[in-house]
Amino acid sequence: MIRSLIRRMKGYVRIRVEGYSPERFLNMCCYHGIYIWGLAPAEDAYEMYMSVAGLKKIRPLARKTHTKICIVRRIGLPFFFRRYRKHRLFFAGLILCAVLLKIYSVFIWDIHFEGNEKWTDSTLTDFLASENVAPFMLKSRVDCQGIVKAIRKEYNDIVWVSASIDGSRLEIRIKESEDTFRDDGQETGTQEEHPTDLVATEDGVITEIVTRSGVPQVHVGDEVKKGDILVCGRIEVLSDSGEVAGYQYQQSDADIYADTEMEYKNTMLLTRQEKVYDGKESRQGFVRIFGWTLSVGSLKNQYENSEVLTEEQQIRLGENFYLPFSWGAKTAKSYSFRTEKYTREEIRQILSADFALFCEELEEKGVQIKENNVKIQLDQNSASASGTLYLNEKITEEADTEILIVERKESDESDGTDD
Amino acid sequence: MEKEQIRERLASAASMPRDVVLGASIITITGVSEVCVENYRGIIEYTDCLMRLQTKEGQLRMTGKRLNIEYYTNDEMKITGIIDSIEFNDGRRGD
Repeated sequence: MIRSLIRRMKGYVRIRVEGYSPERFLNMCCYHGIYIWGLAPAEDAYEMYMSVAGLKKIRPLARKTHTKICIVRRIGLPFFFRRYRKHRLFFAGLILCAVLLKIYSVFIWDIHFEGNEKWTDSTLTDFLASENVAPFMLKSRVDCQGIVKAIRKEYNDIVWVSASIDGSRLEIRIKESEDTFRDDGQETGTQEEHPTDLVATEDGVITEIVTRSGVPQVHVGDEVKKGDILVCGRIEVLSDSGEVAGYQYQQSDADIYADTEMEYKNTMLLTRQEKVYDGKESRQGFVRIFGWTLSVGSLKNQYENSEVLTEEQQIRLGENFYLPFSWGAKTAKSYSFRTEKYTREEIRQILSADFALFCEELEEKGVQIKENNVKIQLDQNSASASGTLYLNEKITEEADTEILIVERKESDESDGTDD
Repeated sequence: MEKEQIRERLASAASMPRDVVLGASIITITGVSEVCVENYRGIIEYTDCLMRLQTKEGQLRMTGKRLNIEYYTNDEMKITGIIDSIEFNDGRRGD
């Protein structure tokens, strides 16, 4: 492969040797170190390939062996240039191509992101653009270290970044942190000094209580109202005489579940308005270059109701390099309204589906639905699903602990006088 | 002939390669389609079904179909095609 490439670069010919004893000619070529390949007999002669350098040496050999030599084919770059030597524009094009290739290879043409899920390509591209890293920038001005630092500084949940240049493409590999509680931890850390109670968010009957810190104020089976303190963050410190000598404050933490009730009501109209397209539409095509728009056609119309649909496509190079050139079409479609009535079955289906979705959302929040008596009712103009849901859920909410001050001195003195 | 016999004995006694000492030909045959010949003197006759080569020890006669010389240099040549037979004739003795 490489040998044939070199041969083509240097140029070679296929020659035909005729005469009394062409074998002698071959042996003499061999003796003079002229390399021959692709030798094949052709009728009364031989045909073979020979390099241009070899061709220059064979004239005396041909004379000596009384053979006639003619060139059958010329192959290779020197002959190619000779054949097209008058096509100056062609050579100018070749040179221009090489120069442009060199110039274009100096720029970054594409930015490729890998490993990002939470942060989209376009968000990251915009951020990099604000840091003056964008396609069509000089490769020599790309500071990979700087990009890595900037991304790490801007996005806390990107835990690892690597930037590298691959050809004319800037590759940015990212590893996002999968746990999001890191931020929550920092937030609670700042509030550590602040004592809290846990209060009830709903009325209900306590079914389970697990206290980790604080003083529980309720027991399993107790009925609580909304706003009642369930766990107190204030711990009494008793003196030897059994009186309150002071208080210690802390953040309460507990899991408290209670049976609660929830009213559910969902109403809907028996009729709906539906769009009916009458097929009338007007179209406008447009081409946008550097924010300058050229449109063909008009969207002006006499339609009573109409909607406009715009489709636009932007040319891009690679993955994230959008050129300021786009085209598309705007279509205005005329429509009218038609009032349709739901059937009983449809109403039942819609209300049931809504209720099922509502229950699913509750269960996603960790609420257990024990029972429900939701029923669907049809009226003159509307239909409704209503009833009570019996739930078991976590009912705690944090609230500030009331700070109490013990006036110890006064009580001590009064005690003393009594004694 | 005596000289050659001495050389042959010398070669076998010193266990030196025969192609170096005696100038013997080396013929490497790959399947039925490729033959590589080293240490030859020249081509005597060559058509697409017969090839005669002169070697130091005599003539090498090769028959086959579509015989083609891939390359041809001072020390080595490669012949491709379908090889039917390869024979040695003692050219000098035959003549």
